Amino acid sequence: MDYAIVAQGLKKKYKTKKRKGLIKSETQVVEALRGVSFRVKYGEVVGLLGPNGAGKTTTVKILSTLLLPDEGEAYVAGYDVVREANEVRKRIGILLSVEKGFYAKLTGKENLEYFGALYGIPRKILSDRINYLMKLLELDRLGAVDRLFEEYSLGMKARLGLARALLKDPPILLLDEPTLGLDPPSARKIRGLVKDLAREGKAILYTTHNMFEAEIVCDRILLINKGVIVAEGTPYELKTMLPRLRTIVVLVKNGDEFKINSVLSELSLKYSVKRTPEGLIEVRVHVPKPEEYLSDIIKVIVHNGYDIMTMRIEEPTLEDVFIYFSSKE
Amino acid sequence: MSNFIDIIRAELKFVYGDIFRRKSVLIMFLAYPYILTVFILLIGYSFGSPKVFIERVGVDPVIFFITSGFMLLAILGVSDDIFWRPIFEEWMGTLPYIIASPVSRIQHYLAIPIPRLLLVLLTGSTSVVPVLTYFYGLNGFIESLVILGLTMVGAVFFASVSMVSLGIIYGFGGESWRVINVLRPLLLILIGAYYPRFLMPLMGKIISGLIPSSYVVEAIQRMLIDPSVPASFILMLLGIATALFVVYTPVGAKSIVFWEKKRVSEGVKT
Repeated sequence: MDYAIVAQGLKKKYKTKKRKGLIKSETQVVEALRGVSFRVKYGEVVGLLGPNGAGKTTTVKILSTLLLPDEGEAYVAGYDVVREANEVRKRIGILLSVEKGFYAKLTGKENLEYFGALYGIPRKILSDRINYLMKLLELDRLGAVDRLFEEYSLGMKARLGLARALLKDPPILLLDEPTLGLDPPSARKIRGLVKDLAREGKAILYTTHNMFEAEIVCDRILLINKGVIVAEGTPYELKTMLPRLRTIVVLVKNGDEFKINSVLSELSLKYSVKRTPEGLIEVRVHVPKPEEYLSDIIKVIVHNGYDIMTMRIEEPTLEDVFIYFSSKE
Repeated sequence: MSNFIDIIRAELKFVYGDIFRRKSVLIMFLAYPYILTVFILLIGYSFGSPKVFIERVGVDPVIFFITSGFMLLAILGVSDDIFWRPIFEEWMGTLPYIIASPVSRIQHYLAIPIPRLLLVLLTGSTSVVPVLTYFYGLNGFIESLVILGLTMVGAVFFASVSMVSLGIIYGFGGESWRVINVLRPLLLILIGAYYPRFLMPLMGKIISGLIPSSYVVEAIQRMLIDPSVPASFILMLLGIATALFVVYTPVGAKSIVFWEKKRVSEGVKT
């Protein structure tokens, strides 16, 4: 199979100089990537999910030909990002920062015309393409087409950034936190569009540290932490990797948290008990298969004279997965 | 070629936004040659005699300085445009998108100074043209048009030197206005606009001889000083300038690629 993006053992160290007095300085080495490998197929959105400083932007920069790796190889659309950078550049659309990246004194349309010329798009095609993208991203509806970039809201900036990434209709998109700091309508618009673009067959690498977003946008997620991919899979697969798969949440009406605590101890399960602001007792029991433990839990609570108000089973969130794998490191 | 024209059109838009939408910049841009000339003539008339100047240089100081001011504005404008651009792009956050674009570096960097040059041409038509017409009549008018044309050529030729220097200076020393501020006065002298090359010491002549635009400046000055200067001599000067431009331009493109590679090895800031 032809992969849109192939990264093999990418390593990158940054050297930073820390001033020590007037003349002396100390060189500090930060390992941004410690052997990152993954593949992205055409037609899928792959999320690179990690905390700040995990190596997300470094990975995107290497794939965008904006940073050389120290070790490892990366291929985008079949071209080596180091040796065939110009071929890669013809085939990618990038969005690296939603706040900056355009000329303040040009309008949105003029900015796109400028970058379109640099991308070598013929004038007639460019004009049609800009009109199409302005409509697609609703920049025309927002009155942003002929507005100076310096007057744009963050949401408009992000939309314009995505419009530039799509200007030459590239088969591969590298989007670095495209919804960072956006208002909900703009973020939703961009997420929806990303899904549509993947359906059209584009390969999309999407970095974020927003778990909710990763779960709804990405077909596959790469969890990256401290320069290493710690887990990989669909959101569901990642959740099943957790040893504690689900949580049984029971709300008890007339109880005392200390007594319920001692009653539950006979079950030999991992649980927690706390009083809610409404004065109820919330019991959370973590079990791999809730159906096997449900009746035992009910029995213990009811037989000891407590009334169950509600009961539900909580699926683990991607955040749980992320915290689990991050803490394992 | 059509892509080169598209890039120039894009740069025209950029300059339009950058100058016409910043009124203070526009006013300074249009007033600069006049301010410079008035300032120089004021000092000149206060401390020296125009007769001595004419004896020494061979042309009226008003003509010399209005022409020199125009030539300098054009040539230094090109170097400023090229040197300033990477710093500006980084500041605006556009640098990664420029580096990650497949545009030909020669085309892009040759296109960058052209829009501003066209504006300079406008200022020339309101400074050099009326002054030469006033002094020499119709011949002066024609000569002024030739001067405008040659200055444009000399300024474009300077793009090659700027490209070569940009790659070397930014590649080894990093992008800094401080370096440009050191270079500027040196260029001001070595181009020969205010200090004609034939008056320079030997070392100055040698270094100046490496700059293609200095030959165009010399050609203009020779025409001003002695209207009967042989055309073959002027053509020889322009020929040398063209040859140097042809040699420097591909070197300049390589130099820019060298700087870009240096940036990519360190990581382009986003």
